Amino acid sequence: MTVWAPVEYTGVAELRGPLVLVRGVRGVGWDEYATIELESGERRHGLVLETDRDLAVVQVFEGTAGLRAEGTRVTFAGGPLRVPVGAGWLGRVCDGRGRPLDGGPPVLGAADAAVNGFPLNPTRREPPSEPVLTGISAVDALTTLVRGQKLAVFSSGGLPHLELAAQIAAQADTGGTAFAVVFAAIGLTHADAASVRDTLEERLAAGESALLLNLADDPVIERVLTPRLALTVAEYLAFELERHVLVVLADMTSYCEALREVSSARGEIPARRAYPGYLYSDLASLYERCGRVTGLAGSVTVLPVLTMPAGDITHPVPDLTGYITEGQILLSRDVPVYPHVDPLSSLSRMMRAGAGPGRTRPEHLDLAAQILAALARARQAAELAELVGESALGAVDRRYLAMAEAFTNVLLAQRRDEARSLDETFERAWRVVSVLPRRELSMLSPAALDAGYRERT
Amino acid sequence: MTAIREALEPVAAALVRRARLDADAMIAAAGRDAERTLAEARRAVRHAVEEAGERGAAEGRAQARVARIRAGRRARAVELAARREVLAEMRERAVAAVTALRDDPCYPRLVERLTELARASGGADLTVREHPEGGIVAEGRGRRVDCSLPALAGRAVDALGAEAARLWAP
Repeated sequence: MTVWAPVEYTGVAELRGPLVLVRGVRGVGWDEYATIELESGERRHGLVLETDRDLAVVQVFEGTAGLRAEGTRVTFAGGPLRVPVGAGWLGRVCDGRGRPLDGGPPVLGAADAAVNGFPLNPTRREPPSEPVLTGISAVDALTTLVRGQKLAVFSSGGLPHLELAAQIAAQADTGGTAFAVVFAAIGLTHADAASVRDTLEERLAAGESALLLNLADDPVIERVLTPRLALTVAEYLAFELERHVLVVLADMTSYCEALREVSSARGEIPARRAYPGYLYSDLASLYERCGRVTGLAGSVTVLPVLTMPAGDITHPVPDLTGYITEGQILLSRDVPVYPHVDPLSSLSRMMRAGAGPGRTRPEHLDLAAQILAALARARQAAELAELVGESALGAVDRRYLAMAEAFTNVLLAQRRDEARSLDETFERAWRVVSVLPRRELSMLSPAALDAGYRERT
Repeated sequence: MTAIREALEPVAAALVRRARLDADAMIAAAGRDAERTLAEARRAVRHAVEEAGERGAAEGRAQARVARIRAGRRARAVELAARREVLAEMRERAVAAVTALRDDPCYPRLVERLTELARASGGADLTVREHPEGGIVAEGRGRRVDCSLPALAGRAVDALGAEAARLWAP
C-alpha cells in the first residue's frame, strides 16, 4: 500500500453497534487505524479490533449511525494510529484523538509518531531529579513532584480532584526552564471540560499547554487512545524540543472502564471485576513512558488522577496504579478544606531527589518530616482527647492539637485560584511548626531552627 | 423620733456615700463597657468593610479574569479560523492546479502511470475507468483504488505536514 494509491475495501459484510465487519481485506493487522468513507463523502475513523484471514472487525469512533453496507469504503492505514508531533500542539484544544475543537486547522507537525509509543529504554533512563513546583502548598511542601516522576492523585467521587488537577496544570512550573503541560481529560462531562478549559485558558494562550478533551459521550475506543496521544505529544516536546513536560491524565478510572468495555467487545477473558487481565501491564505501558533520558534536557512527568470507586483503595484501578506509580497524593473527605489532601496518607517516593539543598530549601526534607511526625502525634492526641476530653490532655499534647489546626488553616487550606510561591509555602510551614515548643522539634537542625523558628508568645 | 434620726444620720450618710460611690463605679463601668462595645463595634465594622472590600476586589479580579479569558479565547478563535480558511483555500488551489493537468500534453502518460500505480496497489485484476475530473479510479471485487486528480491533490496537501504552517508563519 502506498500513500498515493491506498486500497479502499468495499466489502462491508455486517454492521453491528459500533462495529463494521469488512470482508476481502489483505495484510490488515490488529489495532490498525482505518478511515471509513460514507456514500455522502463523510469520513469517519476507527481501529481494527480483530482480524481473521480476510475479515477485519473495525470499531468506528463516531459510531455506525447512517452507514450502509453498500457504498461504504474502508481504507486501512497500514499500521496503528500515528499523529503529527511538534510545537504545533501548544495552545491547541483538541478532542481525544487530536482533532481540533478550537475552530483551527488540523494540528500540523514536523514529524509523526505512533500513538502507542514505547516505554523508555531502561538503560537510557535517568532517575527523576529536580522539582516541578505545583504552587499547591500541601504538594510542594510534603509530597514534592519531581521531574520524570509518576505521582498519582487518588480521590473519591464528589471530591474536587479535577479542580486540583487543573489548578496544578495551570500554575505548575520548573523555575525558569522551558516548561509545558499536556492535559488529557478522559471521560469528562461537558461542564467539567468547560471548567478545565477555563482554568487552563491563560496557559493555552501563552502557548505553554495542549488540552485534549475526551468527553463522557465520546466513544470508548477514543478514550483508550487519549492518554497515549497525550504522552506521544509530550515525548516529542520533552525529548526533541527539550522542554520539561507535565502530563495530567484525569480521570484514569474512566480510561480503565473504557479498556474493560473494549476488552469485552474483543471477547477477552475478564479478570478481577471484569477488567482485562492485562490491566496492570496496560497501565504500566502508559505510566512508564514518563522519565528522563541520558543526554537529553527535557523530562516527562505524569500526574494521573483517578477516582476510587466507592472510596475503595483496594479496587483494581487504584491498586494496580499504586504498584506502578512512585507515590500518591490522597484526597480525603476527612480533610475539611480544599485541596483536601490527606498529608499522612500521601507520599512522594521520589521527593528526596527533588527537594532539599540546591533544589528547593536546605531544610525542606527535615521540615516535611517534622510536620508529618507532628501531625501523627497530633492524631494520637486527638484520639486520646475523644476519650478523656481535651481539657484532660497535657499542655504539650494540646500544643500538638493546635499545631494540627494551624497546619489545616495556614498551610493546607488554599484558594482554587491561588498559586503559592515556594517562599510563601515555607513561610507558612515555619508558622505551623512554630506553634510547637522548640524542644519538640527534634528533627530540625539548630541552624535551621535559628533561621526559621518563631515561637509564639 | 428626731433623736433616732439624728442617731442614724451617720449611718444614712455612710449609706448614701456608699450608694453614690457604687453608682459612680457602676457609671464608670458602664462607660467603660460602652466604650469597649463601641470600640468592638467599630472594629467589627472596620473588619466587615475591609472584608467586603477584599471580597469585592476578589470578585472584581475574578470577573476581570473571566472577561480577559473570554476576550483572549475569541481573539484566538478568530486567528485559528483564519488559519483553517487559508489551509482550505490552499487545498482548493491545489485541486484546481492538479485538475488542470488534464489539458497538459503529458496527461495520457500520467493516466498510464496512475493505472500502473493503482494496479500495483490493489491488484492486477482491477478494472480501470477514467474519473470525470481527471485521473483514474480502479475497481474490483470488494476493492477500489481512487487515483482521481482531486484525491491525489488532497493527499499531496495532507502530506505537507508542518510545511503547510508556513502559510501563517511570521
